[in-house]
Amino acid sequence: MAAVYKSLSNQKSAQKDEKNADGPRKNKQRVLILSSRGVNQRHRHLLNDLAQMMPHGRKDSKWDSKSKLSGLCELAELHNCNNVIYFEARKNQDLYAWFSKVPNGPTVKMYVQGLNTMEELHFHGNCLKGSRPILSFDAAFDREPYLKVIQELFRHTFGVPQGARRSKPFIDRVMGFTYADGKIWIRNYQITETEQTTDGKDGENGEAEAKKTSKSRGKDHKELDVGLVEIGPRVTLTPIIIQEGSFGGPIIYENRMFVSPNQVRADLRRRKASRHNARAEQFVERQARKGDMGLRTEGGVKKPLDELDSRSLFA
Amino acid sequence: MAKSKLLSALKHEQGFDAKKVKQIKEKKKHKQRVHNKRKHGDSEDEDDEAPAVNDAEDSEDDEGEEDGSEDEQQENGVDLAQLDESDDSDSSIDLEDKIERPRKAKTATTITTQAVAISKRSDKKKSKKDEEEEEEDEEEEEEDDEDIPLSDLEDGDIDDEADYVPRQKLSINNTAALLASLNRIAIPTDKSVPFATHQSIVSSGEPTASAIEDIHDDLKRELALYQQNLEAAKQARALLKAEGVPFSRPTDYFAEMVKDDGHMEKVKAKLIEEASAKKASAEARKLRDLKKFGKQVQVAKLQERQKQKRDTLEKIKTLKRKRQESGTGDDTYEADLFDVAVDHELGGGSKKTKSQQRAFGGGGGGGDGPNAKRQKKNDKYGFGGKKRHAKSGDALSSGDLSGFSARRMKHGGSGGGAKGKVSKGPRLGKSRRNAGKR
Repeated sequence: MAAVYKSLSNQKSAQKDEKNADGPRKNKQRVLILSSRGVNQRHRHLLNDLAQMMPHGRKDSKWDSKSKLSGLCELAELHNCNNVIYFEARKNQDLYAWFSKVPNGPTVKMYVQGLNTMEELHFHGNCLKGSRPILSFDAAFDREPYLKVIQELFRHTFGVPQGARRSKPFIDRVMGFTYADGKIWIRNYQITETEQTTDGKDGENGEAEAKKTSKSRGKDHKELDVGLVEIGPRVTLTPIIIQEGSFGGPIIYENRMFVSPNQVRADLRRRKASRHNARAEQFVERQARKGDMGLRTEGGVKKPLDELDSRSLFA
Repeated sequence: MAKSKLLSALKHEQGFDAKKVKQIKEKKKHKQRVHNKRKHGDSEDEDDEAPAVNDAEDSEDDEGEEDGSEDEQQENGVDLAQLDESDDSDSSIDLEDKIERPRKAKTATTITTQAVAISKRSDKKKSKKDEEEEEEDEEEEEEDDEDIPLSDLEDGDIDDEADYVPRQKLSINNTAALLASLNRIAIPTDKSVPFATHQSIVSSGEPTASAIEDIHDDLKRELALYQQNLEAAKQARALLKAEGVPFSRPTDYFAEMVKDDGHMEKVKAKLIEEASAKKASAEARKLRDLKKFGKQVQVAKLQERQKQKRDTLEKIKTLKRKRQESGTGDDTYEADLFDVAVDHELGGGSKKTKSQQRAFGGGGGGGDGPNAKRQKKNDKYGFGGKKRHAKSGDALSSGDLSGFSARRMKHGGSGGGAKGKVSKGPRLGKSRRNAGKR
């Protein structure tokens, strides 16, 4: 009997092995997380928050140069990473996030807005450090090719691969990506499971409700209610360009709806300046008008000297 | 040259639904043709020209489509980037070769683009631009023929308005290249692999954006996002449970959390602070309201009391008048009768004694008072109120300071060193004592 069992079990395991060998390549991701110089405190905290949630990530020191981003590829390869998240700060206030697959692309550059770090949000959600998140994508991500690319990149960078070194075996976190208003909204929630509260309902509602609940209770007694509690951080990203290569190569998508924050600021300043300019112009005009009427000592037309003026009379 | 490249890119972008777009375009064209006929009846030669152009374009479009399909076939094969590049160049060359549209039209389009550029730079050449805008109306057909995405067509339509400066930046959206790079990196997420390998869920149905009315309304937006994620969490939970992957953390599993204890403490403190602030403010509001309301109540009560007083006084006055008018001779009974009358008039208000009230309660409201028999019995057997503690002091009695005189007190204190009271002769009888007080 034992022999039969052994042979059967062997067969089974062999099948399993075959299946594993046949199966698709393993999802194996490592992410290099780093920022440029000149990030401010909030940017840094965001980076830390993200890095904390990514056990497959490797945080590196700040990247010095802003022009030669291709060096990042080498750095990533040096660290054995095949994904890069690079936060580029400009003017101490604007933050751009680059997501890239390393040896050969693609790369997405996005503008970071609506940034709230975990600390300043005071949400009472919490999760295991390094638990694998469920990635929830909006349906819009399947409609457009460029969003598909972005979706795939997010899946690689934010999804913790199965069996990652420091990952935890339980799942208690959802990471949501939603495309709305031309931006990608990223949220983090903790999954909470609570006992279904049917007892209170029975008393309050009618018989039909009671019947329904009793039926459901009969079917699966231990069914738990799933709820979400936000953890943070909150980020909104506006995609700007997608490059075919990794930190280089031809641009295969460009968002023409994106207006650079510099432009916005310049417009604001110009609008403010225009008010002042109008006032200054008015002033000059007024002075000229006064001069024309002879109300000013210099410039404009002088009053002709009157013969009856006391100065000419008693000269 | 750049333009042709762009065209090719745009062509790629259109991809498979080129046919549909074309149909729409042709409909549009037809409408426009009719419109044009009405508009400038003299430019009939152009209308003749248009169908020919269309034919040329149609054939070209078909070829383009074939190219596209070939691309897709080849994409499954080997090196994509190279292929794409070659395709691009090919297609651009094809375009150059095969476009046999009238020379005049081509130049006209270039002129229009130039005109746009010029208009951007200066207003001086406005007159020239106006001339060319007339041409633009005609050229719209040509623009339709060229593969410009629909979104741009709309821009073209707006071009007709004189002061509108169109955006020069064309959006790059190279679908083929995007899909190629997607295929290169994609990890399988379909049913063939277990869900646990990727754990990603793309929500089915409408995109979340359609559920958000106003993106700036934080509450509604977050609610929509929450709904999306909750849906995903439920779905994922079911899938993972089906695959037998451990999902929820057992209560005795402790591990490092994302937010450490210090952080959670802060969060808790914040929550408590918020809650207490809320409570305090609510309480303060309640007090404020009460104060306002309490004042109103007080005023109302005072007014009512005043009114009552006035009423009773009036009634008494009327009664007195009546008495005087009737003028009975018997003086001795007059006062008693008057009192009884007042009692009747006030409806057994404040003047009735306790015992009388009790007795009336049984008899159904103060009509004529208790009958004689009842009265007798009450007197005999004692009815009305408990007899215990009748003599013990109460608030009224202890508040009654009529028997106290400061002078006597002081006199007793200062008068000699004797501790006891100064003797005032022998103690009188009760009735005389009481009489002396009054």
